[in-house]
Amino acid sequence: MSDITLIMQALGRGESRASEELLPLVYDELRRLAEARMARESAGHTLQPTALVHEAWLRLVSNGDRTWKNRAYFFASAAEAMRRILVEHARRKSRLKYGGGQERLNIEDLELADATSDEKLLLVNDALEQLEVEHPERARIVVLKYFGGLTNKEVAETLGIGERSVDRHWVCAKTWLFHKVCGQM
Amino acid sequence: MRDAATERVEEVFYAALEVKASEERVAFLDHACTGDARLRSAVEAMLASQADVEKFFRQGSPALASAREISQAIAGTPGLRAGVDSRLSAEEEIGKHIGPYKLLQKIGEGGCGSVYMAEQEMPVRRRVALKVIKLGMDTKSVIARFEAERQALALMDHPNIARVLDAGATVTGRPFFVMELVHGVKITTYCDENCLDARQRLDLFIQVCHAIQHAHQKGVIHRDIKPSNILVTMHDGVPVPKVIDFGIAKAIEGKLTDQTLFTACDQFVGTPAYMSPEQAERSGLDADTRSDIYSLGVLLYELLTGKTPFDQQELLQSGLDEMRRTLREREPHRPSTKLDEFRVEELTQTAIHRHVEPRRLKLLLSGDLDWIVMKALEKDRNRRYQTAIGLGVDVQRYLNNDPVVARPPSRLYRFQKLVRRNKGVFVAVGAVSAALIAGLGASSWLFVQEREARREQARLREEAEHARSSETQLRQEAEARAKIAQAAVFLSRGKPEEADQLVEKIQIPVTEPSLEAAGVFRNLGEWNVAQGRWKPAADRLLKLIQANQVDKSDMTDVATRDLIRVGPALVAAGDTTHYRQFVQETTARFAGTRNPVAAEHVIKASVICPLDQARIQALEPLAGVMEQSIAGATSTSSEYTYMIAWRALALSLFEYRRGDFTNAVAWGQRSLGYSDQRPTCVAMSHLVLAMAFCQLHQPAAARSELAQGRELVEAKYPAGLKKIPDLGGEESGFWHDWVMARLLLREATAGIESAAGGHEP
Repeated sequence: MSDITLIMQALGRGESRASEELLPLVYDELRRLAEARMARESAGHTLQPTALVHEAWLRLVSNGDRTWKNRAYFFASAAEAMRRILVEHARRKSRLKYGGGQERLNIEDLELADATSDEKLLLVNDALEQLEVEHPERARIVVLKYFGGLTNKEVAETLGIGERSVDRHWVCAKTWLFHKVCGQM
Repeated sequence: MRDAATERVEEVFYAALEVKASEERVAFLDHACTGDARLRSAVEAMLASQADVEKFFRQGSPALASAREISQAIAGTPGLRAGVDSRLSAEEEIGKHIGPYKLLQKIGEGGCGSVYMAEQEMPVRRRVALKVIKLGMDTKSVIARFEAERQALALMDHPNIARVLDAGATVTGRPFFVMELVHGVKITTYCDENCLDARQRLDLFIQVCHAIQHAHQKGVIHRDIKPSNILVTMHDGVPVPKVIDFGIAKAIEGKLTDQTLFTACDQFVGTPAYMSPEQAERSGLDADTRSDIYSLGVLLYELLTGKTPFDQQELLQSGLDEMRRTLREREPHRPSTKLDEFRVEELTQTAIHRHVEPRRLKLLLSGDLDWIVMKALEKDRNRRYQTAIGLGVDVQRYLNNDPVVARPPSRLYRFQKLVRRNKGVFVAVGAVSAALIAGLGASSWLFVQEREARREQARLREEAEHARSSETQLRQEAEARAKIAQAAVFLSRGKPEEADQLVEKIQIPVTEPSLEAAGVFRNLGEWNVAQGRWKPAADRLLKLIQANQVDKSDMTDVATRDLIRVGPALVAAGDTTHYRQFVQETTARFAGTRNPVAAEHVIKASVICPLDQARIQALEPLAGVMEQSIAGATSTSSEYTYMIAWRALALSLFEYRRGDFTNAVAWGQRSLGYSDQRPTCVAMSHLVLAMAFCQLHQPAAARSELAQGRELVEAKYPAGLKKIPDLGGEESGFWHDWVMARLLLREATAGIESAAGGHEP
């Protein structure tokens, strides 16, 4: 835990580099957790990523500093790690399904209603990349909520904005992403 | 893009969501969207899709993923692990080794890497700087790109350049670079801490320009010039700037794997505030030496004002597309007007750092320094200084109180820029009026537009592909530019031989027309003519034609004037292949000119040798233009009679080549009938007449004309003369006209002799 303590101290001093270094730690922790769960839990048992993330957090900082600022960095890293993991996973699966090295899904190739959650995830992720360019703050909220599974309250605390505006951004972003995915905008 | 209208739509939409009952919602919308149908339909569209949106996000949400799925996903993501495993501290501890290098001390930390002082033990013991790139990049290709550049890097040897010595991969697979160790501080910091005045700053800057020029001549583009890459060290009490990190931006450029999107490092390598518009573009492939000139301009801007033209933070926060747009379209403030934005204490501080009174600072910058900086910062790289040395020399001219090359843009230029910036609008306005006038339907116009757009896209794609594979060509072009610039300097010092040796090495066609290049090649072409070196002369003059095409749509005699230099030189050099090609291109390019002088130039340059039927047909319209102008010429005409005589001669030779010998005689005699002709025109008229009479079986007349022509030509250039020391002039006749006359003399003599041989054995 000495690594994490050092990183936490760096975060406390406001060094943004530290959050980058936190990412692999988050990743490792998520991985360990998921493996442990798999070992003792029956298949089909659903687990909210929120729970995974929370647990990872608690383990990581059990003897560290727990200010909200650090927590914010942590959640951002964790949500980004989740996104990465899930997108990679979905890509690999869809590549197997469609055979060959298809990188991006083509909306014309699938009916939205029939789309699997993996396909949807990839479509949302693509649209999200555009949102990141046009409205970075809103995109951060989507990452935290959609991939990180955070509640509005947690997002509000993480980003230091009001809960209501989190909700508004989330609702608008969802609509925007949906229209983008359906190719209507 | 975000704008007020979008904001308003979302505001109303979000408020309407709160109103659950449908009648109330309608009433609310009636009220909120009064008189704004577009707002209403946008909001209604969003509201209508809400059920689907909720369903879509509920079903597809990873928040419902099972533990099994998540752990499978995690277990199957090895790339992530290798890529972002960046627990630097574990690996790069002081005292440890990376390859043959022992880490001694961490000396810097950048956005994308850490820099260490290290000791090399083999083959020599020395201290070096070692930079480890910490991103999850594709190490193999980074190193491959570095290796590709290595030879060029090794050629660089300049006191103001820190050499890059080595590159490799750490045990965990991160790329690292080894450089000459420079003990120094950032150039801007050094200048501010020592309160250097403008002159001292400019002196340092000029040294930087020399360093960059040296690199460019070795074919190396820096691509990431910024203050933190230029360190100032003290050498016997004298500050010496050193440019570091050569070749590194190139090696790690662009090819960031998507893993790096993960990190806090900028999305692309390079520093937006110092990045040229072309580097910021999506393809990012098109950087050349002039991208470095732009960055030098930003550096100069910052040395003078303390700020960059565009604020780094603002650029980063505005998002990628907006940032590209800013770099591509927004005109930065001139350095002197930039100061107006400063707060009082900021201005005072800036002035103190420059050892000048605050109110004098603005005065100091306005004028020449403004224009020098703005010329380096031109959006269009063809309008920038073409070489680093050009920029440095202009700064030196300022320091010497000589007039600088950079000048404020003319009104015409500014208008052109306006057109360029708003091309869509201008094209649309132009096209719409054209459509109205021609009575074309709007739909067909749109169809054409769309097809054009698609073609344009295809072309751009092709270009991008091409650019990818044309690094060598870029390098050659950069070399060519540098050689031309140096040749211009040699010529201005009266050293044509040195200049000619330089441009002789340019093996590629001149792809970037400029007046400077045209001047150099014209000068050297004629210098070679004077030496009697016809082959090199022909080569230089052909390049002159390439360099001349600054404005490809120009069909006036300004654009054709050099053609009559090239044609005779090519034929005199015996280079019929290139001459034929030259005639082909010339007739194709100027086929549409209505300018009689241009027509005369084109015809004269094209008919020095017999030519095929297709060429003759291509030239016929031009002959028509000349005939009309002669017919329209009256005593009140402002044109000089000698110019009409030239046109008659060109027509005479054209008719001769066409096989209409009677007309050839008529035009030839008419040419001789004008007063005030140039001797060259008279000589050529006699010679064409000689050839035409010969064809008409009038040997006596032919011989008489030939004798008159010969006498004139040989009086100027005696038979057997190789060198042409006297290049002539307007009154006495230009060398190229005399050379052409000589060629005609040769042809006429041969023709008449063989005819005589045939008739009187």
